[in-house]
Amino acid sequence: MPETIFAPWDSPEETPLIRFQNVTKRFGDFVAIDDLTLDIFEREFFALLGPSGCGKTTMMRMLAGFEDPTEGTITVAGQDMAQVPANKRAVNMMFQSYALFPHLSVWDNIAFGLRRETKDKAAISARVDEMLRLTRLEKFARRKPHQISGGQRQRVALARSLAKAPKLLLLDEPLGALDKKLRQETQFELMDIQEKTGTTFVIVTHDQEEAMTVASRVAVMDEGRVMQVATPEDIYEAPNSVYVADFIGDVNIISGTAAPDGDSRFAITWAADQPPILAKSDIGFNTGQSCHLAIRPEKVAIHAEQPEGKKNAVRGKVLDIAYLGNLSTYHVELPNGTIIKAQTANTRRIARRDFTWEDEVWLSWTTSAGVLLAQ
Amino acid sequence: MKHLLLGTAALALVAAAATAEEVRVYNWSDYIDEDLLTKFESETGIDLIYDVFDSNEVLETKMLAGSSGYDVVVPSGTFLQRQIAAGAFQKLDKSKLSNAGNMWDVIDARVGKYDPGNEYSINYMWGSTGLGVNVDKVKAALGDDAPIGSLELIFNPANMEKLQGCGVHFLDAPTELIPAALAYLGEDPDAQDADTIKKAEPVLTAIAPYVQKFHSSEYINALANGDICVAVGWSGDVLQARDRAAEAENGVNIEYYAPSEGALMWFDQMAIPADAPNPEAAHKFLNFIMDAQNMAQASNYVYYANGNLASQEFLEEDVIGDTAIYPDAATLENLYTTSPYDAKTQRVVTRMWTKIKSGT
Amino acid sequence: MRRAALIAVPYVWLLALFLIPFVIVFKISLSDIALAIPPYTPTMKDGFWTMVQGLDFENFVFLTEDDLYWKAYVSSLQIAFFSTLLTLLVGYPMAYAMARAPEEWRPTLMMLVILPFWTSFLIRVYAWIGILSSEGFLNQFLLWLGLIDSPLTVLNTNTAVYIGIVYTYLPFMILPIYAALDRLDGSLIEAAEDLGCSRLQAFWLVTIPLSKNGIIAGCFLVFIPALGEFVIPSLLGGSGTLMIGKVLFEEFFSNRDWPVASAVAVILLLILIIPIILFQRNEQRNAEAEG
Repeated sequence: MPETIFAPWDSPEETPLIRFQNVTKRFGDFVAIDDLTLDIFEREFFALLGPSGCGKTTMMRMLAGFEDPTEGTITVAGQDMAQVPANKRAVNMMFQSYALFPHLSVWDNIAFGLRRETKDKAAISARVDEMLRLTRLEKFARRKPHQISGGQRQRVALARSLAKAPKLLLLDEPLGALDKKLRQETQFELMDIQEKTGTTFVIVTHDQEEAMTVASRVAVMDEGRVMQVATPEDIYEAPNSVYVADFIGDVNIISGTAAPDGDSRFAITWAADQPPILAKSDIGFNTGQSCHLAIRPEKVAIHAEQPEGKKNAVRGKVLDIAYLGNLSTYHVELPNGTIIKAQTANTRRIARRDFTWEDEVWLSWTTSAGVLLAQ
Repeated sequence: MKHLLLGTAALALVAAAATAEEVRVYNWSDYIDEDLLTKFESETGIDLIYDVFDSNEVLETKMLAGSSGYDVVVPSGTFLQRQIAAGAFQKLDKSKLSNAGNMWDVIDARVGKYDPGNEYSINYMWGSTGLGVNVDKVKAALGDDAPIGSLELIFNPANMEKLQGCGVHFLDAPTELIPAALAYLGEDPDAQDADTIKKAEPVLTAIAPYVQKFHSSEYINALANGDICVAVGWSGDVLQARDRAAEAENGVNIEYYAPSEGALMWFDQMAIPADAPNPEAAHKFLNFIMDAQNMAQASNYVYYANGNLASQEFLEEDVIGDTAIYPDAATLENLYTTSPYDAKTQRVVTRMWTKIKSGT
Repeated sequence: MRRAALIAVPYVWLLALFLIPFVIVFKISLSDIALAIPPYTPTMKDGFWTMVQGLDFENFVFLTEDDLYWKAYVSSLQIAFFSTLLTLLVGYPMAYAMARAPEEWRPTLMMLVILPFWTSFLIRVYAWIGILSSEGFLNQFLLWLGLIDSPLTVLNTNTAVYIGIVYTYLPFMILPIYAALDRLDGSLIEAAEDLGCSRLQAFWLVTIPLSKNGIIAGCFLVFIPALGEFVIPSLLGGSGTLMIGKVLFEEFFSNRDWPVASAVAVILLLILIIPIILFQRNEQRNAEAEG
């Protein structure tokens, strides 16, 4: 049997686990969620990504049952959640602060939810031990939360929220309190656990790297609206707006007016004394329509001399060099003042690098290197 | 240098304050015409520091603890006797009391029971413990032939049951109520042996449930307002209640009766503590109080009789003429005095009183 | 050296303010009543050795002979226990409401709790006489409402004593509980609900255990002074209200029996020391848990 790619959002016969339908949430005059429609499928690791105040936490709290939508409906597995209180939902949440009960041991924290649904001590014990094994916490079962490290607390919180085997696990900035190295390790651990348990995860984060690493799909949010929902690759390679392109990673935006130039190709006039830039695009633009070309710095090549046979080549001056160890980013100022970033891998030793400050250089990119955006 | 000068000046001030003569007097609250205090200061040039207390027990505790710092204190007879025995007081220097001739031999003789020969004290005021009665209400409850002037009124449970509705207060003072109960039984009110004293217990236990409150000062207001109809209280206090009711014109008509079976006579005596800082000034204060006109002024103010015969010509008619204050010879004969209990008997009395009040 | 001095300071403090007075009271409790100044014997005037030889436990034996004393202790413990319970029942919801109130209201609410302290304790207790007496505000109000036909007798009963103690010590209950609830992380309650608790279960399983230290502190702060309370039972209580504070007062003032009064006080202290030690332990454990 051939291995199929996990992409239920692409197959029309799949029914989503969670549906937000025209959901609006207002707090007084403030609109936290603005007419939002979104589907999340079973076994997905779904990331809600956005700056603080974008509404991602509100969405999560509506799923958990701590907030009710002002308008619209949320369904989970076909059931309208409007009348279902938080404690009756097959949804569990891992809190940003972990919210571990300080008066209970690690073991009792994990058993807390189980005790609410069953009196069977043996079953509870077995499940707690299973969770302790899964999160490698066996040695700390009898400790109180204040007697273990931050990373261990994070795993207790995860174990506790997974103990009841929820249909859906919500993770609110789950790694925010960890230092960078531990965070990266834990990201993979989270993915591993998600795969093992087969639970649908919805994670809220403001860290785009984290979202890109763990998620099957990412929803980029801004001011209560979803800007784009796509796989991490698509979000990076094919952002649908300047906002998304800018939010995810480093990007150069060149704004101008478009004119059709052959098959799916457009010439962009962007500066008076410069030749137009050519770019391919699947979406059409009318002559004179304003457009934005988004190009990732690593797709921009840097040359000492004018390159031969390149469609897009511009001349500029090195303004700044950001040395990142494995990579260097050159900030190059074009004659009209626009700054373009170009990134190269440092395959050679530092002393033998070609360019330095104030050098005249040429930048080039292919017609398919950038994404042409209307907004 | 300047600081040093200032310091010296301050020291000099303190020294001056210390040498200015002063006398510290500790008396019952509401027990003097305050004009007398300023009069004493202007006549003698001595600073008078006047403090008040409201129970003999408080005074006695201070006396027995020692170093009270007072020059003149005012214990009642039985307390005085015990405190003399404890060595709390110094003998008076009669040569410094030029007004001693003003005193009333009848009272002096009775006080002799507590202070033989009046060696340690002079009488300030005296009075009796009796019945404060709201005549109209009591007659309404018991009929016109109510035994108003008799202990029958308060010690007969049948009467008390009927009076319960209009309210009865008793002094919270076992050393006054137990002798009264003994007098009611025809026993010696001054009995000192535990067996006789215990005879008072059933009398008091039988009526205790009908007593609204055992308290030694609340009855003044309660009587005056008409909240209660009978109080076992001190003569002057009941008369105060009578006057307050009269002033308020609230239709409450209070009378004081020294019970026909006999009433306790008590004496408030001025004495000088053994460790008084300024006995010289204390004698001056006593002599000032023993002045006939001064003593009359005090009695006219507080409505209590005093032990100063010479003062009687200066007393106002509603004081000297009121038999509730100055009883006639026959009534005076009917007043009895008591002696202090020894420590063991006192404990029996206190314990009995607790039992009577709380039923425990 | 400096460290030793620092450690010594609280002990010197304890010695001066607690131990020395206690030793004096204890010594008096072993003496005999006397008609003298001071009213007990023997004293240091007789010489130290004679004094020590003259001491005995007679007064403590006496306390066991009359049932008044143990009845008074039991009655005081009972009154202190139930008034602590009542104070908790009244104080907890108030502390809870304060902790849940909007941030900007809290200083005002806190002020309202502390405000009564600005008035003398004695005056506040006297005010209750005015409220509870048969002609008082409470009865007049109830009569006006038509709930009762004749005035209720509240003043001079144990009910009035309970009201007085609850009223007086309420802030001591509210403040520590409020402090505990204020620190409580709201997400813990959400976590409990998320894991399947109803509101009530979350309150019982999370809020109560986490405010436990505040509850314990509050209960001790009420129980300990209520046990030896004298002013409230003597002003609001009736003649039937038996409390050890009143007995102590009578021994001291009416019987002027300082030795027996001291023996009563020593026993009271011994009764109090148990909860005080428990309280200290609890505080220490908290300090360790938080440290």
